[in-house]
Amino acid sequence: MSQYIIRRLLQMIPTLIGISIIVFAISQLVPGDYITATQNPNLTAERIAQLRALYGLDLPPVQQYFVWAKNMLVGDLGQSLQHQMPVTKVINTYVWNSFIIAFFSFVFSWIIAAFVGVFSAQFQYSFFDKVVTLLVFLLMSLPSFFIGLLAIKYFALDMKLLPTGGMTTAGLNATGWAYIKDVGLHMFMPVVVMTTLSVGGLTRYFRTGMLEVIRQDYIRTARAKGLKERTVIFKHAFRNALLPAITLLGFELPGLFGGAMILERVFNWPGIGQIYLASLNLRDYPLMLGFTMFLAVLTLLGNLISDVLYGVADPRIRLK
Amino acid sequence: MEQPSLNRTEQLQEQLKIVKAESPWRIAIRRFAKNRLALIGLIILFIMAIICAFGPLFSPYELNQTNIKDKNLAPNAQYWLGTDKLGRDVLLRVMLAGRISLTVGLVATAISVVIGATLGAVAGFYRRFADTIIMRIADIFLALPTLPILITLGAILSDLKIEPSKRIYFLMLIIGILGWVGLARLVRSQILTLREQEFMQATEALGLRDSRKIFRHLLPNTVPIIIVSATLGVAGAILTESALSFLGLGVVPPTPSWGNMINAANNLIDFRKRPWIWIPPGVCILVTVTAINLIGDGLRDALDPKMKSR
Amino acid sequence: MLVTLMAFGSILAACGGEEAASTDTTTPTETATDTTTPDETATEETGTDSESAIGLTEAEDIATGNDTALARTDSAIIGTVAPQGIFNPLFHQTSYDFYVDYLIFPSLTKVKTDGTYENDLADDIKISDDNKTYTFHIRDDANYSDGTPVKASDYLFTMKLYMDASYDGQSDPLSWNVVGADEYNKGTATDISGIKVIDDKTVEVTVSDYDAMTQVNLGGIAPLSEAYYGANYKQGEIASVKEFNTKPMGAGPYKLTKYAAGQEVDFEANENYYDGAPKIPKLIYKVTTDTTNLAMLQNGESDLDNITVTEDNVEELKAAGFLDVNILKNNGYGYVAMNNKNPMFADVKVRQALTYGLNRAEVVEAAYGPYAEVINIPQSDVSWAYTSENIDPYDYDIEKAKALLDEAGWVEGSDGIREKDGKKFEVNFSATAENPVVDALIPIMTQNYEELGVKLIVETLDFNAIMEKKDRGDYDMFFAAWGLTPDPDSTVYITDGAQNNSGYSNPKVDELYKEGKKELDLEKRKAIYAEAYQLINADAPEILMYQRTNMLGINGRLDGWDVSPYKDFPLSLHQVEIAQ
Repeated sequence: MSQYIIRRLLQMIPTLIGISIIVFAISQLVPGDYITATQNPNLTAERIAQLRALYGLDLPPVQQYFVWAKNMLVGDLGQSLQHQMPVTKVINTYVWNSFIIAFFSFVFSWIIAAFVGVFSAQFQYSFFDKVVTLLVFLLMSLPSFFIGLLAIKYFALDMKLLPTGGMTTAGLNATGWAYIKDVGLHMFMPVVVMTTLSVGGLTRYFRTGMLEVIRQDYIRTARAKGLKERTVIFKHAFRNALLPAITLLGFELPGLFGGAMILERVFNWPGIGQIYLASLNLRDYPLMLGFTMFLAVLTLLGNLISDVLYGVADPRIRLK
Repeated sequence: MEQPSLNRTEQLQEQLKIVKAESPWRIAIRRFAKNRLALIGLIILFIMAIICAFGPLFSPYELNQTNIKDKNLAPNAQYWLGTDKLGRDVLLRVMLAGRISLTVGLVATAISVVIGATLGAVAGFYRRFADTIIMRIADIFLALPTLPILITLGAILSDLKIEPSKRIYFLMLIIGILGWVGLARLVRSQILTLREQEFMQATEALGLRDSRKIFRHLLPNTVPIIIVSATLGVAGAILTESALSFLGLGVVPPTPSWGNMINAANNLIDFRKRPWIWIPPGVCILVTVTAINLIGDGLRDALDPKMKSR
Repeated sequence: MLVTLMAFGSILAACGGEEAASTDTTTPTETATDTTTPDETATEETGTDSESAIGLTEAEDIATGNDTALARTDSAIIGTVAPQGIFNPLFHQTSYDFYVDYLIFPSLTKVKTDGTYENDLADDIKISDDNKTYTFHIRDDANYSDGTPVKASDYLFTMKLYMDASYDGQSDPLSWNVVGADEYNKGTATDISGIKVIDDKTVEVTVSDYDAMTQVNLGGIAPLSEAYYGANYKQGEIASVKEFNTKPMGAGPYKLTKYAAGQEVDFEANENYYDGAPKIPKLIYKVTTDTTNLAMLQNGESDLDNITVTEDNVEELKAAGFLDVNILKNNGYGYVAMNNKNPMFADVKVRQALTYGLNRAEVVEAAYGPYAEVINIPQSDVSWAYTSENIDPYDYDIEKAKALLDEAGWVEGSDGIREKDGKKFEVNFSATAENPVVDALIPIMTQNYEELGVKLIVETLDFNAIMEKKDRGDYDMFFAAWGLTPDPDSTVYITDGAQNNSGYSNPKVDELYKEGKKELDLEKRKAIYAEAYQLINADAPEILMYQRTNMLGINGRLDGWDVSPYKDFPLSLHQVEIAQ
């Protein structure tokens, strides 16, 4: 097992190098750069040339790549053109806001999906199952901003229970517990909406996994042995049904830090998703590339963790 | 009166029919045909396709028509589903949109399912080298920033002067190609488990070819997961298409798609005051997704009788 | 994976309708673009519709349904798009950082409601007879918020920063032609010879060449405190100054007390402000998005915001009852560009035909209702340079268009498409998607041109991609919009001008622009530009489409606003009071 892990970690190196080259190449192919994107009508051709030189945009691409790659190795992701500060600082400022929402909705959606999925499978084709299935499909058919707008309309505008958006109340300089409460109140809707969006797909996967397992002979044996249904489900069936879920777990790691572009906009949440999108529109390459590489590392790690966990959870597999 | 007796050849043929075992796929098709819900799903899909393909021919309105004076009308006798902000008939647009969205949803998902399932199966089955290569490629695909790629592709297609109405095909291809990783990983992990089970030892003993082992014995057992992924994929593809229009890869206005019709209501005012703009396309996506799922469930039940509880 | 993809795209949607160009001229204090600015009085309108649509609608009853806002007795919340956190006039790039900087950094002169300038930090400006030497006297009572006085040497320090070789902001300081600036920039001099500090409060600037913008450029500088900002500054290394981007300190009416990235910027009144302490003790710039900014105004959660102009939104704002609704002309215009270098468009008759053959009024009405107007010259009708004399309005006339194309040699072929020399009249048209104008423009344009015998092939493309194609000259037609500067000088219509998208070239126009730039007398400039616009109108290098409007919703409890297309709302904040 440890051999496997070490081998995978070593494999990450060429993979990351490959990703960095491809990602950098893509950024060079994308039409436009920071100067064209800002569209300042008053720049003369000389000034444009000066600015390009100052931003390092005039070097040949290969050289730019090596400069960037070398800096990355020491943790310097470059300077964001748009924000005029180091990329690491920009990411650090916004990513934790996205993280708390993603984290809580991850926890809630997995717990809910597990329970609902299990009960759905247990009572397949029952009224409960049918209603849940329909609800899941309904949620899948609507884009995320819809659910967001719905939530805002009901909770914030009609019932006035929650603030309309943002992360904190304007002008409130709360600290400590009061601050946590304030953020919590603002966080409620985004977390609920995000959970709602991911719980649907997860429920389907859990349900399917359970269905496959429940019909197996060993479950029949367990029941025949006289074990309580609860034990049968949670001790025997559930653990085996979880196996596909472990694969899904791997995708969650980059998701925790990736930000949610649409929801952040709808709820006015100062997350990294919006920042990334803006950097794309303005061709702020250092930020774009830096963030992409950050997520790439998390993706590889996530997959590695899920592969290892899978090997641990299922003794039938031999990981080589 | 005597029964006409079968001659020797016919007798043998009769016997062979009984002896020759039907292939699992043939059995499955038969079972599927008996599944009421699955057939309903198939019929619904079929009806939707027909309506979207031929419905617009019966409409008194045209795609490029804008009647400003008729804008934002609630459903009434003249416009059965109301009008949008440029005075266009929503019913017509929903049908025309169906052509695009149904095609994109189904084709793109089919592509990613085929690629994903195959690569996942190969990786899980052969392990070692094939697994490493495929999974690292999958990692790279996952890490790629999709938006910049799509923007670049949009610009390239524009420079190549590819006709805008043809770009939808590239769109389907692209969504399909970019979406295979999730399913591949899921199928791979299932295959890793399945290949250690006893029935695989049996196939080994029988000396079956690898491709037979994969496609006839392993993959059918992963169908449940594939179906979940496919249903999620169809909805996702339909909604993604609308997003890609902005990058020059989707449909060109005024061509509608269910996704971009829903997107038109992305502000609180339209959302609240004019539900007829987004409810019809939303319902269409819902129905499509449900139909696909019914078909999928039928497929799964047909392939594995243990799954059915009735 | 697909979900995230879809997520990406939908956001992109909302941004798709970006307008080109910020109006930031070389002067830092010039307003950037497309936001805000209503006028207190309705301006001269051309159409009867617009007369009622544009202007100020006052709140009827600020007491009803306005409790949340009324409860804020010592603060006001201004809704705005998120600033980048670059709070320094030298480096800011977006209008929203500008809004913050207005409150903190006054410059020597400031803009007035009508777009001309008056004294601010400087209480006296002397200009030499040859127009090449400008002497500014800074007010004696001007102090920074930390109590230290604003000195002439601060002005020199700030200019050094501008001329520094490592200066990478959006201004083009070397074009101001300050004597000695080049040498400082290249590092051959450690001082700028053309800027002399006469005494603590007086500075003299000499330029090698002047034009109509010189005084605006020089007076638009906001002096930065050398003691605060220059502590670690070395010539050629401007990075240390940028460290203070989120901790600004200036002589303006407000001090920044808190900056939460992506959320809010908090200010406190500066009691030492030379024009008198502001009447609102606390200001908060709260970040809002266009999903909920309207709702927040209606709730009283914000006191002011810039709301997209649509008939729905206008109605909602007015229905609130306690909101002032200010609708005013946007300083910019939308247009359809034609590649003049393409032989298809080389003949002026063809370009005119394409303009006559497009029902622009219908497009504008479909897109904006009564809240935008068709324009025929590339200038806002609230500018002093505007003229409607001898301007052809190019009213929709399909027969005239057909006749012009016939004259130009484009004959209708058997399939209805015109041909000339074996080539069909096919036009590739690019536009960004999810733009209210484009949605209406494409069907109408396709139909109109079909009748004309021109085949339109439409594609939607990412904005930057369109701009790149434009830079390469590889396009037929595209749709975009400009923001305008208060001064009519620009490089859009000059042969090979930096912003000349279309390849348009008319030597007479070049001459006129050159003259207008040098001329200092306003009346004379008016005549010069009028002639230029008449020529451009006749040459029809592009199809001008519309000038739209902006809308400010302001809670009626705040009084004292003086806003216009040229004077953004932050410039009123020092005098606005809570009157409830």
